[in-house]
Amino acid sequence: MKLIEDFVDRFRTSVRLDESLIVKKKDRYFLVTERLMGLVQEDFFYAGAYLGKVKNAIFFPSFILMAMVAEKESNKIAVDDKTAWLFICGRDVFKRGIQNVSGSARKGDYALVVNRHGECLGFGRILHNINGIRDKNKVVVKNISDIGDFLRREK
Amino acid sequence: MLMSGRDFFVARYKKLGWAYREVELKPSIRVNTMNNAETDVIERLESQGTEFEKIPFLQSGYWIRKSKFSVGATTEYLLGLYSIQEVAAQIPATLFTELEDRTVLDACASPGGKTVQLANLMQNTGAIIALDIERQRLTALSNQLERCCVKNTIVYQLDAREASRLKIKFDRILLDVPCSGNYATNKGWFRRRTLIDVENNAGIQRQILKEATKVITTDGEIVYSTCSLEPEENELNINWAMKNLDLEVEEINCHGEEGLTNIFGRELDSSIRNCRRIWPGQTQGFFMCMLRKRK
Repeated sequence: MKLIEDFVDRFRTSVRLDESLIVKKKDRYFLVTERLMGLVQEDFFYAGAYLGKVKNAIFFPSFILMAMVAEKESNKIAVDDKTAWLFICGRDVFKRGIQNVSGSARKGDYALVVNRHGECLGFGRILHNINGIRDKNKVVVKNISDIGDFLRREK
Repeated sequence: MLMSGRDFFVARYKKLGWAYREVELKPSIRVNTMNNAETDVIERLESQGTEFEKIPFLQSGYWIRKSKFSVGATTEYLLGLYSIQEVAAQIPATLFTELEDRTVLDACASPGGKTVQLANLMQNTGAIIALDIERQRLTALSNQLERCCVKNTIVYQLDAREASRLKIKFDRILLDVPCSGNYATNKGWFRRRTLIDVENNAGIQRQILKEATKVITTDGEIVYSTCSLEPEENELNINWAMKNLDLEVEEINCHGEEGLTNIFGRELDSSIRNCRRIWPGQTQGFFMCMLRKRK
């Protein structure tokens, strides 16, 4: 639970998760409704909203959790269509692809990467103070996780 | 007599009143309206160069006329705004009445297209219990649920024939049972299938039907579907279920022809015509019906 809170906190926001409705299956965490809680049994494989998994004490968030964070006021970097596509393909974000920054733009912070519709494509780490960068060809956000993962999982 | 091969099956279809023909299926999608407006999704894809044709007999289904890119690798697809789903396969989940807030069993759920569709029709309310036997297929199912932001589903690795082990009563049950398939979606179908396979599958399907009657509520609805053209897996199984499981076939209003009430000279219960049979053409081959416990 703390790992999930710490992850959300990186984006300078919080998401209220009712701990009594979080169920765990091995290293994976799920948020269920009260209705599902009454039906979920010990040997379930997947339940409710998948939140993410913990591996070697590192939390790997689900895209559902990222979308939940993106609904809040948080560190978000909106990118243009071309950059959005490249980000989904696993690439980093160049300064020239950024359309808008909300929340922190500071080096070392984490930010969700969203498209022009505000939909969360993943997240990354800010490599340089974005506002101070003049070189448009400089990589400013390092891709950590993106929705292209759904395709990569199938391989 | 060799009970396999193209000639054997084509002759059977002829006896059932249908002339075999080759078909070329157009790819199709279903917009997930749970989290987005349908028109927005279509407009976004059209602005990128995809041409659609609305499927007249489906709520949120579209044929893809032309596309500059793979519709299975767009941002919109990865965001779960739509699913790639064969046209006929989009029908069964829509046959249920009043899905919101219900407890629903998707007994043979993988790869999850219909589970997502059910969640969509339920607007993520109530509960879906999705079952499948194979672990690998469950991973694919779970990925679909995450991609499409489904939040009302519990997945179990469980054989549909053992659903009563969960000790849950369901208001709605989708039995999209494992079947022999059909040649329209499987090019080598005639080479691979024999009547013995068909009969084996029909036996498994009867066991699943029987188990479903143990876990359905008194006034619950069971939707049974296959993508098989073979009457053993369709009309004959439903006729058996009416006689042996005290089920009745409800009238449904959807695309397709009436179920066959005469199979190779054998007369079936007249209400079997309430079933729907789709011969390959605009869609793949399909069969579906809605069942209720007899009052």
